[in-house]
Amino acid sequence: MEKIYRVVVERCIACGKCELACAFAHGSEGKPSKTRINIFKRGPELGTPVVCFQCDDAACAAVCPTEALVRNEKTGAIEMVRERCISCRMCVAACPFGNMLWDETYHCVQKCDLCGGDPKCVPFCPTHALEYLPAGEAARKPEPLAWASPSK
Amino acid sequence: MISLSVNGKTVRVPEGTRLLDAIRGAGFDVTTLCDHPALEPWGGCRLCLVDVTRKEWDGWCKMVVSCMFPAEDGLVVLTDTERVQRTRRVVADLLLARCPDTPLVQKVAARLGVERTSYAPNPEPTDCILCALCTRVCDHIGVSAIASVNRGAGREIAPPFHDAPPDCIGCLACAEICPTSCIPYETSDGSRTIWGKTFEMLRCTRCGRAHVTKEEARHFAARTGVPESYFDLCDACKREDMAKQFTRLSEGARTSP
Repeated sequence: MEKIYRVVVERCIACGKCELACAFAHGSEGKPSKTRINIFKRGPELGTPVVCFQCDDAACAAVCPTEALVRNEKTGAIEMVRERCISCRMCVAACPFGNMLWDETYHCVQKCDLCGGDPKCVPFCPTHALEYLPAGEAARKPEPLAWASPSK
Repeated sequence: MISLSVNGKTVRVPEGTRLLDAIRGAGFDVTTLCDHPALEPWGGCRLCLVDVTRKEWDGWCKMVVSCMFPAEDGLVVLTDTERVQRTRRVVADLLLARCPDTPLVQKVAARLGVERTSYAPNPEPTDCILCALCTRVCDHIGVSAIASVNRGAGREIAPPFHDAPPDCIGCLACAEICPTSCIPYETSDGSRTIWGKTFEMLRCTRCGRAHVTKEEARHFAARTGVPESYFDLCDACKREDMAKQFTRLSEGARTSP
């Protein structure tokens, strides 16, 4: 895994751009309700984005009866092989974090696959709450952003 | 690796590859109705018929369903001979007689060169093409609530004795996989009905949204070893819990020295 998807909760201003970018990127007719990343508001203009963790020992992949959820060794993401999915929705019930989403419009399961190594939500995030960083950098504690700091 | 010839093109595939996959790998299109990448091959629709022969067979060849036939070293495969086309047209013709109004069947038949059926059309037109994707998907998830019953013209997909199937868990996988969407089901707030069986839904203990059937929860719990209380919360409320935990963590990180 060369890069890591990082969420810095403190930076999220709940603007919803990631949800929109995701909904558009994945052919969900741009409906923000069909996004794979979900923001929970925790105050005025403050949010907590929740998105698939791509768990090491993933419940969704373990429960899938058709091996339709497969790890992409390059990005580290668990990807959905659409042709193998039988829409039994076991993964939706199995995910302990609620990150497998049933899409009623397309009758299929939606999950974050890091857009195959180019997460479309990241460039739309205006506060760098979502970042896609080289593995070494991602482990470092995020500094307050220079332009967001009141002293500057 | 073994090597075989498909329409004159030599392809190398691992041993155990199905002939259908070898043909598609060689870049040739084969129409199928009952094949599914996640399910065992079944040989039901008979549309993937091809001729196979060998050099030493002196021109003799046999017709096989490529989805069930293993690729063999030295095999010579012909996917588009006059005989194959004619046989596929008979299959399409019969399917069209059975399902005259089904768009998928009309499309597949037209692709194979059959515009209208030459047989007496089915007096009771149906959309079911007997591909058995529904029964196979049900078997595959370990439920086996439905099966194909009777033979010949009277064959159909049904639960045992046409009663509400006791084993059905109401997951709707059969209805979702059906290529002609001919398995009816109804969902309403709090209940789901399929195959004549009505399921009570479990409601999220926090937001009250109906999210899985009781039978699904029991099946998943038995399959995975999690307690049934695992399904107390719906996916949206589980996400909310996650968000709260993140928030707590980030606040903790900010106040820590």
